[in-house]
Amino acid sequence: MRARVPTLVGFAVVALLLLLVPGIQEALGFPRFYVIFLFTVFFWVAQATSWNILTGYTGYFSFGQGAFYGVGVYTVSVLAVKRDWSFMAALPVGALFAVVASLILGLVVFRLRRLRGEIFALTTLAVAFVLAAVARLSPAIDGGTGIFTTGTELPEFLGDFTTAMYRLTLAITVLAVLTSYLIHNSRLGWGLFSIRDDEEVAHGLGVPVFRYKMVALATNAFLAGLMGGVWSLQLGQVTVEAVFSIRVPLFVILMSVLGGMRHWMGPVVGAVIITTLNDRLLSADLADVSQIIIGALLVIMALAVREGVYARMRRRWVATVATFSGVLALMLVLGINDSLITDFLYAMLVTVALMLIPERIWERITERLPRREPEQVDEPVEDLAGTPS
Amino acid sequence: MELLTQGIVSGVLVGGLYALMALGLSLSWGALKLINLAHFSFILLSAYLAYQLTITFRVDPFLTILVILPLFFLVGVLVQILFHFARVDEFKSLIISFGIFITFQSLMRTIWSADFRRIGSELNPYDGSSLFVGNIALPVPRLVAFVAALLIAAAMSLLLNRTYFGKAVRAVAQDTEMAQAFGVNPGRVAVMLSGLATTFSALAGVLIAIGQSLFPDLAVTWFGIVFAVVILGGLGHTVGALTAGVIVGVAAGVTAVLWAPLASPLVTFLILIAALLFRPEGLLTRRSVA
Repeated sequence: MRARVPTLVGFAVVALLLLLVPGIQEALGFPRFYVIFLFTVFFWVAQATSWNILTGYTGYFSFGQGAFYGVGVYTVSVLAVKRDWSFMAALPVGALFAVVASLILGLVVFRLRRLRGEIFALTTLAVAFVLAAVARLSPAIDGGTGIFTTGTELPEFLGDFTTAMYRLTLAITVLAVLTSYLIHNSRLGWGLFSIRDDEEVAHGLGVPVFRYKMVALATNAFLAGLMGGVWSLQLGQVTVEAVFSIRVPLFVILMSVLGGMRHWMGPVVGAVIITTLNDRLLSADLADVSQIIIGALLVIMALAVREGVYARMRRRWVATVATFSGVLALMLVLGINDSLITDFLYAMLVTVALMLIPERIWERITERLPRREPEQVDEPVEDLAGTPS
Repeated sequence: MELLTQGIVSGVLVGGLYALMALGLSLSWGALKLINLAHFSFILLSAYLAYQLTITFRVDPFLTILVILPLFFLVGVLVQILFHFARVDEFKSLIISFGIFITFQSLMRTIWSADFRRIGSELNPYDGSSLFVGNIALPVPRLVAFVAALLIAAAMSLLLNRTYFGKAVRAVAQDTEMAQAFGVNPGRVAVMLSGLATTFSALAGVLIAIGQSLFPDLAVTWFGIVFAVVILGGLGHTVGALTAGVIVGVAAGVTAVLWAPLASPLVTFLILIAALLFRPEGLLTRRSVA
C-alpha cells in the first residue's frame, strides 16, 4: 500500500478548512472559546499521534512522552525568556534537543538485545523523573522557581495570541498526522510493523531493526518537543511539577488505546474524544472526577476493545456515521445543551458505546435486521460486514 | 566524616524500605509475568489506611497491620483473578495497572486531599525516636522496615528455593504448560503469590505511614527508585532486591550528604542505567525464579 493521492488531497482540504476557523468564528456567532478548545484538541492529536509512531507502530511501550514534551517546553522557555531569543528561532532548537535526548535514550536501551518492551517502558518512565530533577537542580533551567512565558512575543503575521496559537498548533498537528500517515504507508512503516509483530524474524529477514527503531523514537521526540515548545506559551507559567507530571503520558496512552494503535487514524480519533470529554468534565467543575474516569476508562478500553474503536468504526462505518450524525442532529434540534461541544460529546459517546458491543453480539444483531429494503436507508444494514477500502 | 557515616547508615536502613516496596512488583513481574504498577497505589493506600485507622481508633500504628495485611492479601488475590480471567499479558498488564494506578491516585486525592498527612506524635511514639550507636542515629521506623525486609527476604528465599510451593512457583514461571502437565495448579500458585506480593507492599505502606508524612503524589516519587531496585535486584529475586535496595539507598544517602538531596534521583537513575547496561538480568541472579 502506498500513500494515496485522494487521502493527501483530503488532508489538504481539511487543513485549509480548519485554517479558516479563527477568521469566520465571529461571523458564525461562535464564542472565542471554541478556537481555544480546537487548538487544545490539536495539541493532543499531535501528542498522541507522535507517541503512536513509536509505540503503536513498533510495539515499544513508551512512558517518555512527557520527557520529550518537557524538553521542548523547557528549551523554548529558557531560550525565549532567559536568553531573549526570538520565539520562532527557539522553537526548532527545542525540537532538536528533544531528538538528542531521545537518541541518547535509544542508544542505551535499543542496544541491549536481551531487553525488550518492558524494560524500555520503565526506563522511559524514569527519564521524565530524572529530567525533572535536573530542571529543579539547575538554576539555569528552572531552579525551582518556574518560568513565566507570558511576555514572549510572537511574530506579527500570525495574528493575535489565540489565532497565533491556533495556527501554530494546527501546522504541527498536520505535520504530525501527515508524518504518521506517510510512515504508515512506507517501507519504514512496514519495517516498524514487522518489529512489532516479531522483532527476531524482522531482524532475520533483513529489516534494519536498530536504525528503524531509532528513527521512530526520534520522530516521536521531534514532534512532541516541537508541540511542547509551542505549548510553553499556553502554559503561561512553566513549572517542573506541571510539565513533567504523569498527565501527558497518561493522556496519550489512553487516547491511542481508545482509538487504536495499529492505524494512523486511531490516536486522532482517540484524542478528539478524550479531549472533548475532559474539556466538558472540567467545565462542569468535575476536575477531580475526571482523572478517576480517565483511569477507569483506560482499564475498560484495554480489556474490552483490543484493536481500538477506530478499527471497529471502519468495519461498522454505516452505523458509525448514522449514529453520530443522528445523535448530533437530535441534540441540535432539541437544543438541550448550552454548548455545541457538549452536543458533539454526546454524539461521540453514543457512537463509542455502540463500538463497544462485542463482535459476536454485533453480528447476531445485524443478522436479524432485514436486508435490501430501500425504505430503510437510514438503518445501517448492508455494508456492515465489509470494510470500505 | 560523621555526617557521611550517618548518610551511609541511613542509606542502608532506608534501603530496607526500598526493598520492601520493590518486592511486590518484583515478584509479580518475575514470577507472574505481570508488571503491576498498581503496587505503588497499594503501598500508598495502605499507608493512608494505617494513618486513618490510627487516628480514628487511637491505637498503636503497628497494630493496624493486623487489619491491613489480610485485607491486602485479599486485594492481591482479587487482582490476580481479574488478570487471569481477562487473559492479561505482560504488555497489557502495564496499561491496565497504569489505569488502576491513576484511578487510585485520584481517589486518594479526593479522600485525603493534597495536604500532608502525618500520624500525630501522641499516637506515634516511634516517629522521631531513634536508637543511638555512638553518635549515629538509627530511626526506629526505618530500623523496623530494614529488619522486616531482611526477615521477609530470607523467608521468601527459603520459600521459593526450599519448599514444594517454591518449586511450583519456579516451574510455573519457567513454563506454565509443563508445570501444569506435572500436576501444578498454576492458577492457585499465581493467586497465592499475588496475595503475598500485595501483602509486602501493604507492609511497606504501614511502615511508611509510621515514618513520614503522606501526600497523594508520594507514589509517583517512588517510581524511579523502585524500578532501579527491581531491575538491579533481578526480577523475582528477593535477596537481590534487598541488596539492590541497600545499594540504591546508600548511593542516594551519600549523594544527599555530599551534594544535594534533590540530586539523589539523578544518582538513582545512573545506577539504573548502569544496571541495564552491565547486569540486565540482575545483580545476584544465577537462575532463580524466572
